[in-house]
Amino acid sequence: MTLRGILNAAHGLSYYSRLQEVTANNLANVSTDGFKVDRMTGQLAPGTSYPVPVQHLDLAQGGLRETGRELDVALTGPGFLVVKTPQGERLTRGGSLHLDPAGQLVDPDGNPVLGHNGPIVLTAGKVEIQSDGTVKADDVAIDQLRLETVADPSQLRKEGTGRFVSDAKTIPADTATTSLRQGSVEEPNSDAILGMIDLVTIQRAYSANVDALKAMDGVLGTVAGEIGRV
Amino acid sequence: MNPGLRTSASGMKAQQLMVDTIANNLANVNTTGFKRSRVSFEDVLYETLQGAQVVNPRDPQTIAPVQIGKGVRLASILRLHTQGAPEQTGRPLDVAIDGEGFFQVQRADGTIAYTRDGTFTMSDTGAIVTSGGYRLQPNISVPADAQNLGISPSGVITANNGGTTTELGRVELARFVNPSGLMSLGENMYSETAASGQPVTGAPQEPGFGRLLQGMLESSNVEIVQEMTDMIAAQRAYEINAKAVQAGEDMMTATNGLIR
Repeated sequence: MTLRGILNAAHGLSYYSRLQEVTANNLANVSTDGFKVDRMTGQLAPGTSYPVPVQHLDLAQGGLRETGRELDVALTGPGFLVVKTPQGERLTRGGSLHLDPAGQLVDPDGNPVLGHNGPIVLTAGKVEIQSDGTVKADDVAIDQLRLETVADPSQLRKEGTGRFVSDAKTIPADTATTSLRQGSVEEPNSDAILGMIDLVTIQRAYSANVDALKAMDGVLGTVAGEIGRV
Repeated sequence: MNPGLRTSASGMKAQQLMVDTIANNLANVNTTGFKRSRVSFEDVLYETLQGAQVVNPRDPQTIAPVQIGKGVRLASILRLHTQGAPEQTGRPLDVAIDGEGFFQVQRADGTIAYTRDGTFTMSDTGAIVTSGGYRLQPNISVPADAQNLGISPSGVITANNGGTTTELGRVELARFVNPSGLMSLGENMYSETAASGQPVTGAPQEPGFGRLLQGMLESSNVEIVQEMTDMIAAQRAYEINAKAVQAGEDMMTATNGLIR
């Protein structure tokens, strides 16, 4: 039926404009350290013929970029660092850390990065962060950074500023597969070329839906305006 | 209005900042003791269209939440205090630091500033000053008749007048737990901030401090090839975001074409 067809095309338009937004966000973050891209796909809802957005977070490893800055940390493997925010503990893929006035190791938003004994305080000395997360100042071990992960990545939600919220309990990351690299940052795992191709596809699919809608509108116009005429 | 437009605009703004920072790095490629900066970005708020859903109560499998991000913003611009290559000048009062540490100089208002630029000269009163005229701390005065000034790797300044060597003083360096937290004052000087931590002072070649190289200057740590490739990447990323704006705009035009 044509009215149902118009509705389906409208759902299609709404799906493609969301997809365009997600792609635009992935492309806007092509220089954001530790960024993980979102992948949106359409799935047919039962009994309908229009796509419903289904999203998943692509946690694939990003490339490492050497900076030589002591407080830049990159993670390899599936783990996350744990930061303490006023809303609770959050996960992050590291990046450029800082020191707050009290000497606490904090993320760019000023949230303390947690070790096994709570926030890590560095007041003097040369900072060394080892691959297993051990933090040393002038060769004296201070604490070990907590490296955690989740069993099911679909339970991670993004909070912005590189942080993830886990709806499920976090578990310690396997130190055999997760390691830290001091003096490096993790590049985003986005692919600009794929993003561009997606943009073109989305734009064409959107126009196709608009054309379909127009065609069906034309049919309806004929039905209402001409068939009824005696 | 297509909300993706604003997202892409934030991406363009971010890449503009990247190009600005690279331009400043390149402008200072020949500045003594200059340290390059790097921009760090972060993603911004996410709109959650639907939370994580459990597909089947008996099956623990869940569908991931549908979230739409709203772009990117500047997190910080970080100065990277890696070593620059020492360059031979042969001037006795040119000093490079090989390793950690900053020279301490006194500013006009009496506060201490920190610099890696070791282009020192003598003032009319015999004090050792930077090219900007700021006194090296602790104060070292050089007698008017001093000849053959020597600065040892451990910072001891000596004069050698006709075979007799006299010690005039010792240079002290300062180091910080987080040097990228220092604030730039211009004239190659930095001041301490809450983020850099308190300075720890010590003589050159003491544990944790670098050594001094007389007759040398530390060149900037800017690598032209690196900056140029970063510039190309930033330019392309800018273009891609501009294309995303265009795609969003075309979609809006198509929508507007619906009404006859």
